[in-house]
Amino acid sequence: MPSIEETLEEVTEIQNAEIEAVLNPLECDGVFRDSRRCAALALQCGTGQTLLSPPTPRPKKA
Amino acid sequence: MDQSSTSALLQGAVRDLATGVASALASGGHDPVGGDTTVTVGTGSHTLAAVRVLGADLLLPHVLFGTPVDPDTAALFRKAVDAYPPRADAAPTVVWSHWAMARTLRRLDPGPLAGESGAEPDAGWLHDAPWQVLTHQLAVLAPLALPDEDHAVARAARRRPVDVARGFVRAVRRRDWVQAAGAGRWLTLLDGVPDTLGLEAGLVFTELMGGGDPRVALQVGAARRVRAGALV
Repeated sequence: MPSIEETLEEVTEIQNAEIEAVLNPLECDGVFRDSRRCAALALQCGTGQTLLSPPTPRPKKA
Repeated sequence: MDQSSTSALLQGAVRDLATGVASALASGGHDPVGGDTTVTVGTGSHTLAAVRVLGADLLLPHVLFGTPVDPDTAALFRKAVDAYPPRADAAPTVVWSHWAMARTLRRLDPGPLAGESGAEPDAGWLHDAPWQVLTHQLAVLAPLALPDEDHAVARAARRRPVDVARGFVRAVRRRDWVQAAGAGRWLTLLDGVPDTLGLEAGLVFTELMGGGDPRVALQVGAARRVRAGALV
């Protein structure tokens, strides 16, 4: 049976690995939705600057 | 306890701490009870790890407003620095995060730190990073974004303000509010940011869309305080 010290060391090592994973995150996947709502909210912020102009519409299928 | 529930507990503890810091930043050090900007730190099993994850930002209100750190919080912060040094193969962001904590500790609670030389880590991985990667990494290292700081990460950001601005817009378009808020905090410090970016509007928008996440509220709050010249 491992000693208390060994168990604590193992727990700390696991936590350190978990901490380092959190501190070195991969970029999360982008979610692109409601571009018009995004643009409207950006305009409502007061400056009228179009920080978030909607993307170019996709060509319609024939 | 399986790893996924441990991660959830850790993330929850980090959010709790971030909520306290965001609240302290919003109060501007003018708490009606005692003028205290100390963040209340719990004693849960993941508190120490959460302190390490939040890093230097745990003491950000004290850095910005010049208020003293209470001894218990300082002791916990120091314990987190000592307990979780970067492993030998740690990523640069992990190394810089630890360096930022040690630097903050030297600033606010001077005292010996085991194994800490104070020397800057290497920031070479940022030099030729694509603007998307640069922005993402800077956002992860947002606790380093303080006025008048002269370290390698800050210099890397100052060299590429347009790239960071592009990265900010990209983060907003991708609805990555934590990255947007962190990038926005850096942009408040940089010269050469295009006026057409609309940074203030972008920060307001980021807070509107992502402010339910206390990490977003913390970074946006820090950006506002830095713009207002809160540094003492």
